[in-house]
Amino acid sequence: MKKTLMFVIILAFLCAGTMLFAGGESENAASGEVVLTIPHYKAGQNVGGKFFLPQVERFNKKYAGTYKLVIEEIPQDSYQGKIKQLAQQNKLPALIEGADKKWFQDVVIENGLFFDMADWFNSHKAVKDRAIQDSLDYITTADGKITSFPLMVARPIGLFYNSTMVNFDKPVNEMTVDGFQKAMGDQKLAFMTAENAWTTSLFFTSIVVEEGGAEMIWAGVKSPVSDYTTGIWVRSFEKLQDFLQNNASANTLGAAYADAANSFMSKNAAVIANGPWMMGDFASGSEDKWSNGFTGDQVTAAMYPGNMAIFNPTGYFWWVPNNISEEEKEAAMAFLEFIKSPEELEAFMLVEGGTAPNLTASSGYRAKLEENRLLNEMDKAVNADTVFVPLVLDVMPPSVASEDFGRLLPKLIDGTYTPLQFGQELSRKAASALE
Amino acid sequence: MKEGGGMKKKSSVLNNKSTTMWIYLFVLPTIIIFAVFYLVPIITVFATSFTKWDGFNPVKFIWFGNYIKLFTQPEFLISLKNILLWSILAATVHVGFGVLIAFLLYQKPFGWRFVRSVFMIPNIIAVAAWAVIYRFFFNNDFGVLNNMVRIINPSFDVAWFYESPYAFWAITFTWLFYAVIVTLIVLTDLMAIPTELHEAASIEGASSWQTVLKVDMPLIKNAVGVSMILSMTSRIAMYEAIALTSRGGPGDDTMSIPLILVNAITNMKYGYANAAAVAMILIGIAILFIVQKSFKMNEKNS
Repeated sequence: MKKTLMFVIILAFLCAGTMLFAGGESENAASGEVVLTIPHYKAGQNVGGKFFLPQVERFNKKYAGTYKLVIEEIPQDSYQGKIKQLAQQNKLPALIEGADKKWFQDVVIENGLFFDMADWFNSHKAVKDRAIQDSLDYITTADGKITSFPLMVARPIGLFYNSTMVNFDKPVNEMTVDGFQKAMGDQKLAFMTAENAWTTSLFFTSIVVEEGGAEMIWAGVKSPVSDYTTGIWVRSFEKLQDFLQNNASANTLGAAYADAANSFMSKNAAVIANGPWMMGDFASGSEDKWSNGFTGDQVTAAMYPGNMAIFNPTGYFWWVPNNISEEEKEAAMAFLEFIKSPEELEAFMLVEGGTAPNLTASSGYRAKLEENRLLNEMDKAVNADTVFVPLVLDVMPPSVASEDFGRLLPKLIDGTYTPLQFGQELSRKAASALE
Repeated sequence: MKEGGGMKKKSSVLNNKSTTMWIYLFVLPTIIIFAVFYLVPIITVFATSFTKWDGFNPVKFIWFGNYIKLFTQPEFLISLKNILLWSILAATVHVGFGVLIAFLLYQKPFGWRFVRSVFMIPNIIAVAAWAVIYRFFFNNDFGVLNNMVRIINPSFDVAWFYESPYAFWAITFTWLFYAVIVTLIVLTDLMAIPTELHEAASIEGASSWQTVLKVDMPLIKNAVGVSMILSMTSRIAMYEAIALTSRGGPGDDTMSIPLILVNAITNMKYGYANAAAVAMILIGIAILFIVQKSFKMNEKNS
């Protein structure tokens, strides 16, 4: 009898629970609010979440009762893999940020999985006018379809240095790579070998460019590079090896991004190559990340030696799949229009840096920019002669960029590989990935 | 009488048929589950390993192309070497340690139940979590190990997961002494040994060692064999412990087949990934076969 009673109680709870969930859905449906639930990595501890999550909140507030965006947190490393899996299952979320270029071209464009935004942009001319032309050209197919939302903000990636640890007698972008190394003396750069060796790959890009590889990189973003044994590459690996052996922070072997950032913010490294989004870590309110006498006002922003900055407009950014309902498409485009509105672009640039070349900045924005020393420094570090180049990882096949490059670096550091052998190994991995 | 006997026989045949039908009926769900969730995916893996497929566009049949590529890649050959070394360590040190603990617990010393529970703890924690714990344990700057060594040798400086040849041993250390499954399997068999056998051995004047070697060991032979199969096949499928620590590096020093498989998926080469999966299955079957033969596991205890 007791067992029967227990069974009935459990069943009642299960039914109540089911009805409760069903009630939640019907409530949304009844209110007419379109709810988009999307996986995204800009959440939780991810540095991008600092701006993105409040932005989503602002969108939800503005469109309360009409549209609502719900973010499901996912690690950044798993994001693209999950999107590919969802594409295979025909269950893509309504909004997706970024994509592996090759996958996007071979799978998404080839199979028409994207929502063509051409008509939408034709009816939203003001939004289209804010787009960076190179980006718009890249995402537009030969038959005029617009596959994703173009970039509107260029965020040149440079470096930060601690002015209490190094004393450069001229701006970094006016130095050569050798001159920079000499000026560094015994001070260290916050390099990484774990994850995708992000900070290492950024600085390495400046080395490749100084060795005359700018055009090669631009060509590589269109067609991935499989041969890393050419003179430019080998000379660049040699220079990188020199930096890694003599000017790398003590924790470089196995350092992930958090380790590199920690190295810089604990004065164990004087320089870190990174994008403007890191400026949040140097602002007041981030004191818990600082140690060993480090403070945010010690940091100076600069571009790379050789007056070079990293920026890649050739890529697929926010895109919307084609197999969702019209209401969902409207909601997705409303969100993209919202985040690319002048107010949101300015808010974004004030937090994460960058410039919007086709946006007339408001006086309020300019005043706030003047107040932000680091943003101002970064803004001024870019001039008419600055060479913009994509990241070296952008020329490598996905698995080489995300895994092999970082994994091979320890052997370049300890001298197991000569620069040529490192290039040969990288070539073999790339050839295998591209085969 | 004859008539009656015939009817009885007929009824017995009917009963047998009915029983057989019921047996099949009860087994049917298991067969269906096995077919849907195991057999079909395995057949799919085998079939697609002969193809070039990006997961979306039409499949292209390329015969043994993926296998030729796989077997000529240095990282695959390094993976095989690693699997061989890890399998030897698993079969000897790992299983040996588990059996030793099982024998110690079998003696039921004071607090043996507590020790058994404590020994279980690592098995409750996810492999991924262990990998992260070990990443901190082996960290060159603030890791427990290096800081202990630096008490004696202040200049000690080894990034265990990122330097050769330490990375291989650091990875090995993440699983080598966690042999609780082995202990439980062996302990269960030890507990099932009739006490009469030990009494008889004692009456015959056998020493403790002789009892272990001549009585216990032959009776737990199958349990040890099963433990070896489990621990060796686990080495083939080892992914998290590597992916979250050395990621197969430095270079390809700690490369494993699951990492090759995941990299192939990253590059949308599902046919190649499945060829790697088939290689894993075949190595697993080979281990199963070798251990079964070595331990004569299919033969009944005399």
